[in-house]
Amino acid sequence: MTPAAPTAPAPSGPALTTSALTKRYGGNVALDAVDVTVPRGSVYGLVGPNGAGKTTLLSILAGLRSPTAGEVDLGVDPRRIAVVPDTPNFEPWMTGREVVGLSLHLTAPELPAERVVQALERAGIADAADRRIGGYSRGMLQRLGLAAAVVGDPDLLILDEPTSALDPAGRRDVLDFVSASRGQATVLFSSHILGDVQEVSDTVGILRDGRLLFEGPLDELLVGRAAPAYAVRVRGGATQIAVRLRAADWVSSVDTPSQDLLRVTVTSVAAAEAQLVGALAEAGATVVSLVPVQSSLEHVFLELTS
Amino acid sequence: MTLWRMEIARLLRTRRIVALGFVYLFFGFVGPLTARYMEQIIARFGGGMAVDVPPPTPADGILQFASNAQQIGLLVVLVVAAGALAFDARPEIGLFLRTRVRSVARLLAPRYVVTTVAAGVAFVLGTLAAWYETAVLIGPLPAGRMIAGMAYGVLYLAFAVAVVALATAVMRGRLAAVAVAIIALLTLPILGLLPAVEPWLPSRLVGAQVALAAGDAPADYVRAAIVSVLASAALLAVSTVLLRRRET
Repeated sequence: MTPAAPTAPAPSGPALTTSALTKRYGGNVALDAVDVTVPRGSVYGLVGPNGAGKTTLLSILAGLRSPTAGEVDLGVDPRRIAVVPDTPNFEPWMTGREVVGLSLHLTAPELPAERVVQALERAGIADAADRRIGGYSRGMLQRLGLAAAVVGDPDLLILDEPTSALDPAGRRDVLDFVSASRGQATVLFSSHILGDVQEVSDTVGILRDGRLLFEGPLDELLVGRAAPAYAVRVRGGATQIAVRLRAADWVSSVDTPSQDLLRVTVTSVAAAEAQLVGALAEAGATVVSLVPVQSSLEHVFLELTS
Repeated sequence: MTLWRMEIARLLRTRRIVALGFVYLFFGFVGPLTARYMEQIIARFGGGMAVDVPPPTPADGILQFASNAQQIGLLVVLVVAAGALAFDARPEIGLFLRTRVRSVARLLAPRYVVTTVAAGVAFVLGTLAAWYETAVLIGPLPAGRMIAGMAYGVLYLAFAVAVVALATAVMRGRLAAVAVAIIALLTLPILGLLPAVEPWLPSRLVGAQVALAAGDAPADYVRAAIVSVLASAALLAVSTVLLRRRET
């Protein structure tokens, strides 16, 4: 496979695809034949543990590194890709307004200057726009990085670990920003904070040791991977109820985190819906609540990467 | 804000223009003063040692300026140049620029030109100060040869900044780039020990200002000037290629 530069943009189809993308640093394989497809207009969450190859993959897609082998096929104009690193930083003697203005000048000089103010406001950094960046906090730098990225109205926004090392309020703001970008641009962001990915992504890619273990819609990942389970809160006697439930052939397992709580994993949702309530009654349980357990990305991620 | 305005702002806001101007103007004013009153200085601070100092010539005034300008002044220029040219020294800033400007030459040009112009202007101002003070304290200098000396000095600074550009393409860090540039610039005078090579080397321009003030002909330095211009262009071209290939 020949390493290839990004090709000409396609009018429709995915925002980007990669074919057998491979990157080696000496004998170390950072990416191993990765095939990624980022649907146009999606918020694509790339998850993986530290060292999985996320930053390497994003750097190649941004044109900052060359693949050892494989191809990148961009469905967007390479000039309309904006990248925000995990720790954005700028010349400390510049003001925030100047950085965003420079970004606009370099990426979309045809757009009106008002876009600078709009981008600063959208990122929530307008109040500090005329302060020198040397005095910015980490969260403010992150917001400034986002403002500088969106000011040129990009088609593809690449964010590398945008919420890492932010306090809860800053993390919330960034996630809201990503959610608000849906429909305006395709967003590809990496994270090892699975809750963030689950909250804002509609498509997920799971990377480990340079290999793509899963890629697809988040719903498909969560529904297809985990066995159905129910959390049953009772008025005591959970251990005895669990013994009775385990005897049923449609019950896979029963955990009792406390005497008031059971976690019942079943072989099928249909069987549980037909028989779980009756089985609880037969076991003498006084049921306070019964809710299906939502499978989380964290469970699936651990299942896939363990 | 444009890349050109950014470089001008860097010089002004980080006080680098002050450092450049101060170092050249300081030696421009102090150099001829030292030459004029050398005998009194030695008598005052020489511990009673009696030294017979010949009367200073106008070339001595320029020599005192140039000897400091070519060492401390050049060092300041190299540091200022590395601060501007090493845009990959901080990876996040390199990423900001490289993902927005695909042409490395477009990034390099304002940094090289603004730094060279600033260094050249500081050097010329320092020389004018030394020239004026020498004329007042010691005696007149040949105007034509002084102007030629300034031109050759500026050409050498342009070459030195181009060396820094290449150094930043080889080394990411600013200090490392300055060190590489110093080593490269110190290597040239060693090559100049070969008589056949010396007239062609950019390092020949280092002594041009003093030699011209003392009576050398400007034509003696034309070959070195031409090589300096060509070498600067070649260094910048190689820097562009290396920086384009660099992965961030």
